[in-house]
Amino acid sequence: MGEDSMFDGSGSNINDLIEPGRVHRDVYTDPDLFELEMDRIFGQAWIYVGHDSQIPNTGDFITTEIGRQPVILIRHSDGNPKLLINRCSHRGAKVLNETTGNAKSLTCLYHGWSFGTDGTCLGVSMPEGCAKGFNKKDFGLSVAPRLGVYRGFIFASLAENGPTFDDFLGPMTANIDDLVDRAPDGEISLDAGVHRYIFRGNWKLQVENVLDSYHVPFSHASTVNKKGEQFSRREGDKGGAQVIDQKKQKTAEAWRGRRSYVVEFGHGWTSNTELKDKDRSSPAWNAYKEALSSKVGKNRMEEILKPEFHNTLIYPNTSIMGLNIHVRVIKPISVNLTEVNVYPVRLKGAPEEMNFGNIRLLNVTHSASSFVQTDDLEAFQRTQKGLQGKKNDWIDISRGLGEEQADPHYNATSESAMHEMAVRAQYSAWLNYMTMDR
Amino acid sequence: MGGSLFDTPDSPSLGGISSIDRNPFELFLYYEARLLDLRKFWNWKSLFTEDGAYWVPASANQKDPFSAASLFYDDAQLMTTRFERLEHPRIHVQSPQSRTAHMISNVVIEEADEKKGEFLISSSMTMTEYRQDIQRVFAGYQYHRLKRNNDSFLIRLKRVDLINCDSAFEAMALPI
Repeated sequence: MGEDSMFDGSGSNINDLIEPGRVHRDVYTDPDLFELEMDRIFGQAWIYVGHDSQIPNTGDFITTEIGRQPVILIRHSDGNPKLLINRCSHRGAKVLNETTGNAKSLTCLYHGWSFGTDGTCLGVSMPEGCAKGFNKKDFGLSVAPRLGVYRGFIFASLAENGPTFDDFLGPMTANIDDLVDRAPDGEISLDAGVHRYIFRGNWKLQVENVLDSYHVPFSHASTVNKKGEQFSRREGDKGGAQVIDQKKQKTAEAWRGRRSYVVEFGHGWTSNTELKDKDRSSPAWNAYKEALSSKVGKNRMEEILKPEFHNTLIYPNTSIMGLNIHVRVIKPISVNLTEVNVYPVRLKGAPEEMNFGNIRLLNVTHSASSFVQTDDLEAFQRTQKGLQGKKNDWIDISRGLGEEQADPHYNATSESAMHEMAVRAQYSAWLNYMTMDR
Repeated sequence: MGGSLFDTPDSPSLGGISSIDRNPFELFLYYEARLLDLRKFWNWKSLFTEDGAYWVPASANQKDPFSAASLFYDDAQLMTTRFERLEHPRIHVQSPQSRTAHMISNVVIEEADEKKGEFLISSSMTMTEYRQDIQRVFAGYQYHRLKRNNDSFLIRLKRVDLINCDSAFEAMALPI
């Protein structure tokens, strides 16, 4: 932290940044606070790091980051995934440089130290030069102390202690189930490439946006046709969501009726988007329904295909979209730079033309060149610019403050998705992480 | 011409097919690029066959647009949605608008089937884009699958392989 930092790391002044219904702009713009976030949120929380399907075989790996910490997710010879810190225990170089691959052992490019797929130090080149008492056993790659897997989704925590994985994920398993159950084989694959986009703004702008239905009629006005309908985003749909009521020249009732839900740890979701499900039909969609029905039966199929969630947030870095399906990972780079990775989902056991339908529509909704995401990126960048000045220090997130309701069905707290309860819940979780005793 | 519509030539041949006049192909590619620079998107769309497509892979050596994410894979319907949006007064990512300049060179006739009137043309491209104080460059190779149409051509597939196709991009509102 800089010498003149406002934030000495004690809880008291961080507490001052979050008030009921408003957030101080420093939360988005202060580089010292960003450093604290990397330590206290990304160094502590359960962070989604990858999917089983990305590393199917022994030695398969992907490299990624937890916050800014380079890490390796690798399949060890015992069949389990391992999360290794991608930093040579000798002089600190990144050991694996490729984004994906397969390795029997990991050799650092710099001085040739080598490591096993569980991080064990296998050998040090020219060992005769090692200092007295040097023991290679002490020089393995660091390993994430805790790993949790749910239906292929792999999370890691860099903290020895803290809430268990089960406690962290809590009822969000239902949101993962909602996606994975759509695969006739009951498994998904994230092996269909990735959309990578970047924006000049703070990472939380993207996180907040995931459960924000309020922005859609305005930010995404250009995706709505003359009938007030968004373009079709799912295979077989004849049209998209009714966003605008053109006669009344205002946001459509169906859109206003959306709900948002939050649970512990900043997680939450928005309710389903109303679409004409009965009219949904195409060769790919019909073949998919047949494939699913033949595996799970007609009744279960109808249950599975009854859309329940529009978008899900597993705070702090992951979203799962139920509308046009994908998994999205948010990666902070600096206080005003963020990368986002969007993975198309392949439903195992579904006809390839159905998977292609999903891949194709994701190109136009969430890629760097899409119809939807690009206007969000513009909004994030303009927000980051707007927050540079000190004239107005507070961001308003008060819509619906005090109108939160207990929802017994989901055992969650619910409110209109046109409100800002989900953002408030995220800041409550943020404050917990940032001020937690460790 | 064998193989898939999405294939690119295996290896370069010196000069490509030299028995055919390259000039009409070059002029066609310049015209196509110029339409994009001038934001004449509907005219650009009309250069494609009815079942034509525009494809920009999101990974190097991507085989087809079906099995993996692409930056663009627009058929006629998605082009229409894209261009209606580009004309919408509230497309925020184009307020202000981008300005672009394409450069097309190294044009080679890779494959020709004169009977069918079908050709595969490769070329090198750059597109420099300027918007709101930021200038960036896209560079790569493009492959046009063309079909003769009277004294000009229609595009069955335009494939653009950006050299940085798998990098993280800031928002891209315009076709490349």
